[in-house]
Amino acid sequence: MNLKKPLTVETIRLDLKGDTKEAILAEMVDLLMASGHIRDRDAVLKAVLEREKRMSTGMQNGIAIPHGKTDSVDCLVAALGIKRGGVDFGALDGQPSNIFVMTVSPDSRTGPHIQFLAEISRPLNDAAVRAKLLAATSPDEVLHLLIG
Amino acid sequence: MLSTEIQFIFQLGILIVFTRIGGYWLRRWLRLPGVLGELIVGMLIGPYALGQLHWPLVGKLFPFGPGGAPVSPELYAFSTFASIVLLFLSGLETDLSTFLRYSVAGTVVGIGGVAISFFLGTGCAVWFGLADNWLAPHALFLGAIATATSVGISARILSERRKMDSPEGVTILAAAVFDDVLGIIVLAIVVGMSRAETEGGVLWSHILFIAAKAFGFWIGATAAGLLLARRFSKMLKYFKSTQAIAALALGFGLLLAGLSEMAGLAMIIGAYIMGLSLSRTDLVQVIQKEIEGLQNILVPVFFATMGMLVNFAAIVPVLKIGLIYSLFAIVSKVAGCGVPALFCGFNRHGAARIGVGMLPRGEVALIVAGIGLTSGAIGQDIFGIAILMTLVTTLLGPMLLAGSFENPAPGLRRPDDVAKSRSKTIQLSFPSPDMADFLLARIVRAFRQEEFYVYRLSPDAPTYHIRKDEIFFILEGEGGEIQLTTSVQYETLARLVIAEEMLSLRSMLHMAQKNGNLDSMEYNLVADLFGGDNGEESLP
Repeated sequence: MNLKKPLTVETIRLDLKGDTKEAILAEMVDLLMASGHIRDRDAVLKAVLEREKRMSTGMQNGIAIPHGKTDSVDCLVAALGIKRGGVDFGALDGQPSNIFVMTVSPDSRTGPHIQFLAEISRPLNDAAVRAKLLAATSPDEVLHLLIG
Repeated sequence: MLSTEIQFIFQLGILIVFTRIGGYWLRRWLRLPGVLGELIVGMLIGPYALGQLHWPLVGKLFPFGPGGAPVSPELYAFSTFASIVLLFLSGLETDLSTFLRYSVAGTVVGIGGVAISFFLGTGCAVWFGLADNWLAPHALFLGAIATATSVGISARILSERRKMDSPEGVTILAAAVFDDVLGIIVLAIVVGMSRAETEGGVLWSHILFIAAKAFGFWIGATAAGLLLARRFSKMLKYFKSTQAIAALALGFGLLLAGLSEMAGLAMIIGAYIMGLSLSRTDLVQVIQKEIEGLQNILVPVFFATMGMLVNFAAIVPVLKIGLIYSLFAIVSKVAGCGVPALFCGFNRHGAARIGVGMLPRGEVALIVAGIGLTSGAIGQDIFGIAILMTLVTTLLGPMLLAGSFENPAPGLRRPDDVAKSRSKTIQLSFPSPDMADFLLARIVRAFRQEEFYVYRLSPDAPTYHIRKDEIFFILEGEGGEIQLTTSVQYETLARLVIAEEMLSLRSMLHMAQKNGNLDSMEYNLVADLFGGDNGEESLP
């Protein structure tokens, strides 16, 4: 599938400021809002927070994949953020999370939403890729690392 | 005396009803493949047995056709159509990506089986006096009939035993793909050569030219089909409706079948190539599902018609050779596939399982035999031998394969061999079958929402093929268990989809517990059920 479409340089931030889970999620939703990908900031944030309430999307090795479904987006949108030092995201391994891949997809439309999440997360299984991502100096570099 | 049309309709009705009943009995009570029942029904009601009985008002139901043919031209044309549909679907089911993934073991095992079967099949005709040379059409046909495995029967046993993704299972499935492809090429060459022989041309150069032409058509059409498949499927998708897509695909399959006959090959070859070309697209399940109903009616009629062609009197003199041929057909696959498997990392348990898994012959053997009989390349005696072999191998194959898995010994020489690690199975156990069923339905829905084509393999068991482009999953449910098998590459996707659905299930249960409305809804539903005092209120 074409990974390039939802993830663009405008939706990548290398220096997330937030120090809590909520602040990180709000910052990433703002990023999507600023890039013109979503119409209703609050509805998107609510969808993502609700999903987090059911179970944290913080995985292992600093990776978190927050996601949600809401009809305030017309198609799948994605953002990637990096928080140097990491924050407590309630991750499975108890470690702080520092690489965040957020996806938001329409509730009432079919599409390869989880497939996108799975494909974009696959390179993150590689410790070398994670190290390079954390050391990246530009969104272009991040895109190149994940998509080629 | 009935008119031709009415007689044909009667024949078709009787065949559909009795093959269904015969197949059902055999499957249900004897746990044998339904195809056996269909063949036997055909033999019993055909013109060489009960078909000759004179019934009041209708006369003979299955009399000989014009020129003493065992079946009428109408019925034969119908069964030819059935064989085209069958081979079109067989090509469609050919999982080329599985084949390529396990191509080394599959290729070696497939080639071994085909080569030894063809050699022993042809040899049987020469050694036992049925043919005077190795190039005689009937010798070649006996070779070609013995080559193609009917993997559907083995696949059912593998699925029942949950061995589809075992190293033996994937090797059998991959080898059967190669076997099918090779078997069709052998048929193409044999038909070409036998036509050259019957035309009087016995020159080697002429025979080689015919063989090269057949092979060329096969390679050319297959390559073109695979190259154009994506574009063709895009064109089909333009029509949106799944019925239109399936009908157009089959229509083009029939056109290619006609073209391949014109090119001097059998019609089924064109149909198979069309199916094979579409097998790499994501339309496979859509077409299969739409054509399933047609297949359910056509295929038993085809098997029964093949049974009707069996002339018992013609088999008696060659019965002994028939049994030897059947024995050769068994040995050729067990040794031809088993021995190469020993060189592909399998131990003797694994090799034996692969050998017996490749044993059953079915539709392709019968189609090849039918083509040989109607083209005059083989007589009724050799046709009878072919039917006997099909019956014996179809009967023995599943029993031996099921038995071979009774011993749980691993089939690989090194149990941690790579074959196993390439596919991944996620297994989940639930407290009740109902809960597992519910989650299974949710997972199916989730994959559909991700725009995967989900296809339920059989109405009896909840086993699904889930597919999009090159991504492929097998989802199975049994009792309180759910199992999802895929290649390691797509494990993340599988885990994420299941995890999301489990979360939804959990939050639904949580909401149900919290929501007092449910109690009142339940109360309202049943409160007035028996509230009437004399029944007047419930009268319309």
